[in-house]
Amino acid sequence: MKKICALLIATLLLASFAACKGGGTQAPPAPEGRPVTDMTGRTVTLPEQVERIVVLTAGDCEILYALGAGDKIVGRGEYCDYPADVLDVPSVQSGYDTNVEQIVALKPDVVVMSTMAQTNEHIESIEKVGIPVVVTEAPNLGGVYEAIALLGQVVGKTSEADALIQSMKDAFAALEAKVPQLEKKPAVYFEVSPLQYGLWAAGSGTFMDELGNMLGAENIFADLTGWVQVSEEQVIQRNPDFIVTTTMSYEGSPDPIEEIKSRAGWENITAVASGRILNADNDEITRPGPRLADAARQLFELLYGGAD
Amino acid sequence: MKKRAERFKLYEYGIFAAVTAVTVIVCVCLGSVSVPVSETVSAIAGAVRGLFTGVAPPETTNASVIVAVRLPRVLAVALTGASLSLCGAAVQGLLRNPLADASNLGVSSGAAVGAVLSIAFGFSIPGLFQAGTMMSAMVFAFLSLVLILGLSYRLDYSLSTNTIILIGLIYTMFASSVTSLVVTFAGSKVQSIVFWMMGSLSGAKYRDVVVLAVSLAVFGAVIFRYARELNAFAIGEDNARNVGVNVERVKYAVLIAVSALVGVCVSIGGSIGFVGLVMPHAARMIVGPNHRRLLPAVTFSGAVFLMLADLVARTVLSPRELPIGVVTSFVGAFGFVLIFYQTRKGR
Repeated sequence: MKKICALLIATLLLASFAACKGGGTQAPPAPEGRPVTDMTGRTVTLPEQVERIVVLTAGDCEILYALGAGDKIVGRGEYCDYPADVLDVPSVQSGYDTNVEQIVALKPDVVVMSTMAQTNEHIESIEKVGIPVVVTEAPNLGGVYEAIALLGQVVGKTSEADALIQSMKDAFAALEAKVPQLEKKPAVYFEVSPLQYGLWAAGSGTFMDELGNMLGAENIFADLTGWVQVSEEQVIQRNPDFIVTTTMSYEGSPDPIEEIKSRAGWENITAVASGRILNADNDEITRPGPRLADAARQLFELLYGGAD
Repeated sequence: MKKRAERFKLYEYGIFAAVTAVTVIVCVCLGSVSVPVSETVSAIAGAVRGLFTGVAPPETTNASVIVAVRLPRVLAVALTGASLSLCGAAVQGLLRNPLADASNLGVSSGAAVGAVLSIAFGFSIPGLFQAGTMMSAMVFAFLSLVLILGLSYRLDYSLSTNTIILIGLIYTMFASSVTSLVVTFAGSKVQSIVFWMMGSLSGAKYRDVVVLAVSLAVFGAVIFRYARELNAFAIGEDNARNVGVNVERVKYAVLIAVSALVGVCVSIGGSIGFVGLVMPHAARMIVGPNHRRLLPAVTFSGAVFLMLADLVARTVLSPRELPIGVVTSFVGAFGFVLIFYQTRKGR
């Protein structure tokens, strides 16, 4: 009896295994549609009309809205929160916690994600289900333009994409044209976290650094790459003319600008003594999206006064 | 073996204090920004004079670096090292367990849960920014300690090393999952919590120094007061009771003092591992196991160790900084293995 049982179970297991395999071979027929090359160089075949998009990164989400394709978003990564309309769209996990089942359940025509937050395993497992994945990768402004052009292609709004890129370029050019010729470049310190938690600064290779350079300023931590924990002594010694902090205030916490002004030993820093401190919108100035132009405008106002 | 004195002699206090003072001076003179020694001395002298005469000394960049940034940081680090090491020695004595420490007992992670909860839910005491975080960290540190020891007692009345370490380990994992859960629901405060968790003593100011000094003076005094009783615990709780020690009272007094000290340290500087575990052993090698000698020795040597660890953290990658926990864990992990090896080898 025992043997028969074991045999039965084994057979059942085998049968179910075979069924699984069988299901796999019935997968989508040879893909028809238009090929698109994404920013990692992969060629992805998209349907003629993309109507349902799941977007996992906040910057790409902002680009899609700016292109007028916001209504096609059927799922958003949990950190996509701009513009406010997108909050009505169902959210899915993103980054390391990306959940393929959640994405598949939304039946998207395409998934848009960035390599900064997602691993290749996630991309592979989504594509295995037959959903094309378009990957963006925008470490600098040039990358943002490319991402806009790519997403324009994906949603069939290439002329809108060109216009958006042009408007960003125009906005930057207008600011650049107004940068006064100074003998000494203004030195800026970009702070990412407040002192009580250990100072983190934006070094080179960040949007803050790039915008600062574009506007004729010099990042005091340009010698470091990426976001780095820096020594408080160094900030005092490098004596920035301007400070940009992206700290967000919350209930019960002091105002970020007041907190910087109140730091002992900082009163001699030129930026603090003259009160030239900007509390920048963290999302605007760090996301690879169209709002970088707004961030540049804010930075320009801090450096040289009114942009008009 | 030569007979060791019963008490910590005055000249021994002198030696330990002198070593600590020299370390303070070295750590204040060295840093990410190099300041000539003469300027360092005059900056501090000026600040001290200013304190008494009310005349502010001339403000220079170097003076700001020394007086407003480096000195308070070195002092805060010294006091934190002293507090954590003293706590480690007290817990090890109380539990007769050479591998016990606030960090592996789960007290530090308990304190961290308290701190994170208070940030996430905006629990604060009006007028005193961060006081809510500190209170919450202290309360959670104590509750964690009671929970862990209570559970260990139920499982194993003798509170053996393995039971406590295992329960502490499990509790630490539980506490960190609670922390992650809080972060998931923290919404806009995620940034503050994440930065707090990465937190360090790098931004320590005189206010922190005062808080740390007062808590070490008050709660450290409690622990010092029970040095003789801690010696009695070394021969077992029942025997301690038989020689006339009020076991319950000593236990609770020491545990409350330890949780309070750890809570204050964690809320100011984040969790710093291995200091409280390794330093008591190092001090024991020098002055022996008698708590009346060990407690003062470990307080000084803990201060010295953490100041040196912080010196490495803030200079080795300048202008970048390393989290101090990286340095202490690196050194401490080797120390831990050494201790574990030595205590196990004899069996």
